[in-house]
Amino acid sequence: MNGSRRLQQSAYHLGLWLVAIIFFLPIFWVVLNAFKSRRDILAVPPQLAFTPTLDNFRDLFARETFAPYMTASVTMSVAAVLIAIAVAFLASYSFSRFKPRGTDFLMFLLLSVRMVPAAAVVIPIYMMYNLVGWREDWLGMTLFYAMFSIPFSVWILKGFIDGVSERYDETALVNGGSRFHVVFKVILPQVKPGLVASFIFNLIFVWNDFLFSFMLGGRTTSMIPVLLSTGLYADGGVDWPFISALTGIYVLPPVIVVFLFQRFLLVGMTFGTVRGEV
Amino acid sequence: MPSVEFRRLSKRYGRDEVLRALSTTLESDRFNVVLGPPGCGKSLLLRLMTGLEPADAGAILIDGRDVGDLSPGERNIGYVPQSFALYPHYRVFDNIAYPLTLAGSRRRDAEGAVRRIAEMLRIEALLDKRPDQLSGGEKQRVAIARGLVKDTTLFVLDDPLTGLDFKLREQLFDDLRVMREALGATFVYTTSDPLESLILADHVHLLNDGRIVEAGPVEAVYRAPRHLHSMQLLGFPRTNVLAGTLETNSGRVTCRTELFEVPVTLSDGEASDFGASRGVKAGVRAEHLVLGDVLRDRNVHIPVEVVLAEDLGGELVVHLDAGEHRLITVLRHERGVDLDERDLIAQVAPESIIVFDDEHLQCVASGGDGRRG
Repeated sequence: MNGSRRLQQSAYHLGLWLVAIIFFLPIFWVVLNAFKSRRDILAVPPQLAFTPTLDNFRDLFARETFAPYMTASVTMSVAAVLIAIAVAFLASYSFSRFKPRGTDFLMFLLLSVRMVPAAAVVIPIYMMYNLVGWREDWLGMTLFYAMFSIPFSVWILKGFIDGVSERYDETALVNGGSRFHVVFKVILPQVKPGLVASFIFNLIFVWNDFLFSFMLGGRTTSMIPVLLSTGLYADGGVDWPFISALTGIYVLPPVIVVFLFQRFLLVGMTFGTVRGEV
Repeated sequence: MPSVEFRRLSKRYGRDEVLRALSTTLESDRFNVVLGPPGCGKSLLLRLMTGLEPADAGAILIDGRDVGDLSPGERNIGYVPQSFALYPHYRVFDNIAYPLTLAGSRRRDAEGAVRRIAEMLRIEALLDKRPDQLSGGEKQRVAIARGLVKDTTLFVLDDPLTGLDFKLREQLFDDLRVMREALGATFVYTTSDPLESLILADHVHLLNDGRIVEAGPVEAVYRAPRHLHSMQLLGFPRTNVLAGTLETNSGRVTCRTELFEVPVTLSDGEASDFGASRGVKAGVRAEHLVLGDVLRDRNVHIPVEVVLAEDLGGELVVHLDAGEHRLITVLRHERGVDLDERDLIAQVAPESIIVFDDEHLQCVASGGDGRRG
């Protein structure tokens, strides 16, 4: 590599870092605030040198609302996404292999669930849930999130399953394997990156949902974003220590999951298109 | 030894009728090759046979039993698919052992069977590797081993060598023939490659337009095709076909085309009272159209001009102009024919001309008056 090429590449990297930092700055700022005292948070100009404290977290954990909201967040999003992936995996296998009449239209219809703005459907869903008594109900809420996570998962997983040659299914069937064997022993191991990708994408969506949780959820079935918003104001001002500490805790699980599975995620983001057959 | 019979099998997709009342019987304990142009339904025939798809009509009989209501697994057929389809998450050993594992074999029995088949296909050294560590040829050997390891005597191979380079295919030809004999099994093998068919087949079934147009021992079909399509399919380069008429003249029957007129002998059962003339197609295999030999009077002579010569290594495929017609011949390099020469004459022995009727494309006569020269 000659000098000017290297310079050019350094310039690119510098540019990319700048953009990344600009986007990361708010998160960095909030997480940093979580370790500051109220006075340090509100100091003008902002203080970079301060005495870190864990008081904000102590206060947060002491609140009686924190544990139920956090429990709801974790259990509902994980359960919803797992249900969604189980359903989506079987559905996309059927779409991919049996190609029922109108597959393309059905696939479009599925995705259209996600095309409608959430604000437009929240009232009808509120009324439906009220009617069947699923509001403020853990299972009802979980199923709602599962329903909302299925379309995207089907799209991701169908791409992956399409990428697995049908010769695999046939080899298994001719050798006496059942359809169950084909789906779970032959196909599933080959689409793991797709399963992980749809798990993470949907987890992030459900994890961060505010609107539906706010409208449909009750005391034990609302998730952290609702707590963030309802606890925003305290003592006549924005409760920064609370918000910072809660946000700091709340971003942790997705960050850990993405970090652990980024190997799969990179493959997952190509939607199964980059895949060699062996 | 299993006997397999296809009885008037039909299958359509929407308006597309892929198989039309196809019937043929596989030769037991033989290498059966189903040869047909790409997309003619060869793979579909195997899919019906293995039970991966149901037929719309007709029956498949294995050992005299209609297997229509049996699931693929119950038909006990060994299967080598067109693509390798090796399981990426299994080692080569487990890939090969797969049919045995599924059938519930004990590990020790499976191990013995896998090692035996791996030895025959010379892939023992690969058993601990993963499929993504193998070359294309090795993968194909593993896929073949997995297909053949099954404890059965009926195997289907769906064009397994497609996409491999010729050298690899050549090695596998030998292996496949040896394997079949060692297993004492019935093989059904599909391909669209005439050379592959000539090398591998004991018995060839020519599939065209949804039907088996002819089936029989490969040498017999090659030497005396009974259908124009079998002559065209089982030959390389392509057969020269000329439109002509069959004429009868005071008891003597001749075939006349724009390029030649030759006395012919009618096939058994062909009536000679077809009136003054009858439309036919005359087929001459490329290798029977000879350039640069000493001209013999009894042969048919055709003045030609060279248009193009493709070098295939040992031989040349030469495209010729003969009046309005384009002919093809093959020429061995060592013959040293000067292709730039004007006034070239191509000659054909009358016996090498086979005559098919226009309508059904069945063989109705062959060249020569019965006396060999």
